[in-house]
Amino acid sequence: MSSAAEGPTPYALETVDVRKHFGGVHAVDGLSIGIPRGEITCVVGPNGSGKSTLINLLSGMLPLDGGLVVVDGVRLRVVKPHETPGLGVTRTFQDVRLFDQITVWDNIMVVLTERRLLPSLFERPRPGQRERTEQILRNVGMWEKRRSLAMDLSYGQRKLLEIGRAMALNVNTYLFDEPFAGLFPQMLERVKEIMRQMRSEGRTILFISHNMDIVRELSDHLIVMDSGRLLTEGDAEEVLAQPEVIEAYLGV
Amino acid sequence: MLRFAAYREGQGRILAAALTTAAAAYVVWKIAESPDQAVQFAFNGLSVGAVYALLALGFTLVYSTVWFFDLYYGAAAAMGAYGVFYLRTSETVGGNHVNNPYVSAVFALVVAGVIAWALHESLFRRLERRSNPTTLRAASGLLAATAGIYTGFVLTNPDHLHMLLSPAAGVTVAVAVGGVVYGVLQRLFVGTAAAPLLIISAIAGCVVGAYCGLLVAGAPGSRLYLSWIVSCLVAGAVGVALYRGLYVYMRQRARSPLIMLVASLGVLLAITAATAIVFESAPRPLPRAFGSDSWALWGGNIKGFNVFTVGVAIAGFAGLLLLLKKTALGRTIRAIGDDEEVAKVVGINTTVVIAIVFFIGAVFAAAAGLLSGHDTAIQPRMGLLLMLKGWIASVVGGIGNLYGAVVGGFALGMVEQFGIWDLAGEWKDVISFLILILFLSFWPRGLLPRG
Amino acid sequence: MFTGSRRLPGLKRSVRDPGAFIRLARSNLELWANLVIIAWAVTFAILQGTGFAITLGTVFAIWAILAVSLNLVVGFTGLLSVGHIGFFGIGAYTVAVLTSNASYEQLRTEAIPTFGWPFFAALPVGVVLAGLTAVAVGVVFNRFRDDIFVLVSFGFAIICFNVFLNARAVTRGAFGIHEVAKPQIGGWVFDDELSFLALAVVFLLVVVLLSWFIVTSSFGRVLTAIREDERATEVFGYQVTHYKLTVWVLSAMMAAAAGGLFASWTTFIDPNSFVLLESILLVSIVILGGLATIWGSLLGAMTFVLLEEGMRFVPGLPDQYVGQARQVVLGVLLVLLMLFRPQGLLGRYRL
Repeated sequence: MSSAAEGPTPYALETVDVRKHFGGVHAVDGLSIGIPRGEITCVVGPNGSGKSTLINLLSGMLPLDGGLVVVDGVRLRVVKPHETPGLGVTRTFQDVRLFDQITVWDNIMVVLTERRLLPSLFERPRPGQRERTEQILRNVGMWEKRRSLAMDLSYGQRKLLEIGRAMALNVNTYLFDEPFAGLFPQMLERVKEIMRQMRSEGRTILFISHNMDIVRELSDHLIVMDSGRLLTEGDAEEVLAQPEVIEAYLGV
Repeated sequence: MLRFAAYREGQGRILAAALTTAAAAYVVWKIAESPDQAVQFAFNGLSVGAVYALLALGFTLVYSTVWFFDLYYGAAAAMGAYGVFYLRTSETVGGNHVNNPYVSAVFALVVAGVIAWALHESLFRRLERRSNPTTLRAASGLLAATAGIYTGFVLTNPDHLHMLLSPAAGVTVAVAVGGVVYGVLQRLFVGTAAAPLLIISAIAGCVVGAYCGLLVAGAPGSRLYLSWIVSCLVAGAVGVALYRGLYVYMRQRARSPLIMLVASLGVLLAITAATAIVFESAPRPLPRAFGSDSWALWGGNIKGFNVFTVGVAIAGFAGLLLLLKKTALGRTIRAIGDDEEVAKVVGINTTVVIAIVFFIGAVFAAAAGLLSGHDTAIQPRMGLLLMLKGWIASVVGGIGNLYGAVVGGFALGMVEQFGIWDLAGEWKDVISFLILILFLSFWPRGLLPRG
Repeated sequence: MFTGSRRLPGLKRSVRDPGAFIRLARSNLELWANLVIIAWAVTFAILQGTGFAITLGTVFAIWAILAVSLNLVVGFTGLLSVGHIGFFGIGAYTVAVLTSNASYEQLRTEAIPTFGWPFFAALPVGVVLAGLTAVAVGVVFNRFRDDIFVLVSFGFAIICFNVFLNARAVTRGAFGIHEVAKPQIGGWVFDDELSFLALAVVFLLVVVLLSWFIVTSSFGRVLTAIREDERATEVFGYQVTHYKLTVWVLSAMMAAAAGGLFASWTTFIDPNSFVLLESILLVSIVILGGLATIWGSLLGAMTFVLLEEGMRFVPGLPDQYVGQARQVVLGVLLVLLMLFRPQGLLGRYRL
C-alpha cells in the first residue's frame, strides 16, 4: 500500500473473517481488515458496531469464535493476552484500567520489568528502567505526580497515564480504545502529539474515536464498521468523501 | 484464556457427566447390595437435605439481592438454635438457668431499634404531612420502647413464655383471621358497603384470636414451639439491625464486596465468641420436640421430626416462591437483584426492601439452625459450617434460583449420606467441599442456572 | 515555627473544634499505632517479668510468621485466603509425626508409627509437603477470585481440619501427638524457653527478610498489579496464574515452617489448634495490622498477642473467657476497620 511496507506484508495486523458472538448477538461478524504498518488507522462506527470487541479480539482479551488474526504475517487462531507484547501488540482500555492502588511510577515500571518468573524475583529497578520511566512520565506530563497513587489522579491524567503505560512497552502496534473520550482540549492536543510522534517513529496505531474532527486530522487509514461488519475501508480522505459513510455514521 | 476456559467447561461437562454416571452406578450397586440400608441413607439424606435446602433458600435469596456474602447468615443459624436453648434451658439442663439479663437487654434493644426504624420508614413517611412530627416521633418511640420491653420480658421469663406470648399470638391470629374473613366477604358480597363487612370480620377475628390466645395461655407445652418463633424473629431482627446499622454505610463507599464480607466475618467472629462466653463452647442438646420416636418404614427408620423438617423446607420454598413470583414485594426484590441503581431510580425504597430480604434470610437460617439443633446438638461453632453448607447447596443448585436451592439442598444431603456409605461419617464435610470445588470448577452455574 | 503550631492543634482548639483533632489523629494514625503498641509491649514485658515476656515473644513470633506470610497472599496479591491455617497444620503435623518418639502403646489408644527424626530434618519435609499441597490446591484455586475464593479457602481449611481429625492412622485424631522433639543442632538443644525464643525470632527474621525480598522485587510489583487488575496485567505480558501460584506456594511454605516451630514448642498438638476459627483470627490479624505491609503484620500479631494478655486485667472477666473475649474484640475491630479504615492500621491497600 504505502512506502512503510517493510515486512512480508504491508499490514502490521490483519484479520481474516473474524467472528465473535455473545449469545445470539453477532458483535463481530466475518470481519476482514488490514491495518497498514506505520500509519494511524481509525475505526469508526456507531455504538455497538463491534469496535471495542475488535480490539478485545486483537489483544486476546476475548477468544475468537472464528477466523484468524495475522500479526506480521504470523497466522493465529488463538491470541493469548500474555503473548501479545511478544507479538508486538499492546493496548489501552475504554474504561481506563490502571493499577489503581500503586503509584504512578510503579504503573510504568510494571511494564518494563522482567517477564520470566524466577529472574523477576531477583530484579530491582535498574538505571535503564528508571530512565525510561522518567522519560515516559515526562512525555505524558506526569513526572511530578509519580509518587501519588493512580487512583488519586483525575480522569484525564489517568487516560494519559494509560497511554504512557502502553508506550512504555516498546512494541510496533498500539491499539487505543477511545483515547480522546472525555479529555479537555489541552490534554487532547497532548495525546494527538504523542500519536503523531509515535507515527514518526514508524509505529502502527489503531484507535477508536467518535470525534470526526480528530479522525479527519489524524488518521491515514479509515475503517468503518456497522453491526459487526465492515462497511468500507481505505484511505482516510477517500472514505470520508463517500456519502454513504457519512450517512451511516451520522444517521444512527 | 477465555477460550481455554470455554474448552475447560466443555471438557467439564464430559467429566461431570462421567462422575455423575459413576456416582449413580455406585449408588445403584450399593442399593442392590443392601436395599434396607439404602432406604435408611435416603431418609437421613432427606432430613439433612431439608436443613440444607432451607439454608440454601435463605442464602440464595439474600445473595441474589445484594450480591455479597453476608456471613452473619451463619451466626443467625447458630442464634436460632441458641435462642431455643436460651429460652428452654430449664427443660434441658434442669433448672440451671443460663438466663442472662445483659443478653436479654441487648436483644430487647435491638428489637426496639428495628421496630423504631420500621415505624419510621412505614408510618412516618405517610403521616408526616398530616400530623405533628413531634407527636409522631413520641408515638413511635413509645411503641418501639414498649416492644423492646415486651421482648425483654419474654426473654427474661422463659418459664412463662406461653402466658407472655398469648396476647401476641392472639393479636397475630386475630389480624390474620380478620384479614382473611374480610377478603372472603368482599368477594362474596360485591357491592356491599365496607363498614358492615369490616365489623363482621373484626368480630370474627377477635373471637378466633381470643380463643387462640387463651389456648396458648393454657398450654405450657407450647412453650418450646413459641420459643422457636421468638428465636427466629429475634435472629431476623438482628439481621435487619446489621443491615440498617452497618452494611448500608459500607455499601455506600465500598470498592468491592469483600469489605462487607470481611465486616460480616467480624460480626460472625464476635457473635460466635459471645455465644461461647454465654453458653460455654461444649455441645449442648436441645429439648425433645415432638416426633422424636422413629417409625419403621420400608426397612428404614425415620423420625416424625425429620418428616416435619422436610415439610418446613418445602413450605418455606413454596412461601418464598409465592412471595417472589406473585407479590409486588417479590417483584421489587427481583428488580433490586437485577440492578439496584435502576430500582432506586424508579422509586423503590431499596433500603426497606433489602432489610426485609435480610429479615427473611435470617429467619430461614435460624429455622434451619434450630431444626438441625433438635436433630443433633448445638454448639457455638455450628453456624459457620451450616452457612457454608447452605452456600454449597445453593452453588450446586445454581445461585439465585429458588428451585436450584431446593434441588441443591436435597442433592447435597443425599450425596453426603451416600458418600459416607463406605467411609466413616466424619468425612461428610470433606465430601461436600470436594463437590463444591468440582462444581465451581466445571459447572459454576449449577444444576439449574438462574434464568 | 508557625506552621508547626498550626499543624498541632492545642487543647483549647481541640475542644472548640474536635474535628481538627480527629483529622490530625487520623493522619497520624500510623505513628500512634506504632507508638501505642510498642509502648504496650514494653510495659507488659517490664510489668510481667522476663519469663512471661519470653513466652509471649515466642507466641508472637509464630503468629507473626503466619501473618507476614499470609499478607503476601492477601495484601500483596489480593487473594483473601481464609485457609492458611491448613498449611500451618500440615507443617505442624509433619514435624510432629516425624519427630515424635512417644510409646503410644502405653497410652492405650491408637498407635501410630514413630520415626524419631530430628527436628531440623523433619521441618524441611513439612515445608516441602506444604508446598506440594499448595501447588495442587493452587492449581485448582487459581481460577477463583474475590468472594468465591474466600469461601473456597474456607473449604480448604475445613478439609485440612477433617484430615487432621480423621486420618487417625497418621495423626491419632483427637488424641493428638505427644512428645514432639525440640530442635537440636549438634549437641545444642533448644529446650529452654529463651533459646527457643531466639530460634523463633531467627525464623521470623528469615521470613520477614524473604518477604521483603519478594515484595521489593519486580515480582512483588507484578503481584500488586495482579491484585489491581488481573486481565490488564496479563495484557502486558505476564502469565498471572504462574505468579499467583508462586506466591501462594511460598506463603504456604512459610506457614508450614511456623507450624513446625509451633509443634516443637508446645510438644503436643491436636486438631483443635488448626480449626477454621484460628484461620479467621489470622486473617483479622493481617487486616488489623494493615494490608500490603510487612511491618503492619508484625504489629498486628503483636496486638493480637497483647490483647489476650491485656484482657486478663479486665475486671469481672473470668480467665477462661479471655480467649473468647479477645475474639469478640477482634470481631468488633474488624467491623470498625471496614467502616473507617479498610486498609487496616498501617495498610497500603484497601479491600
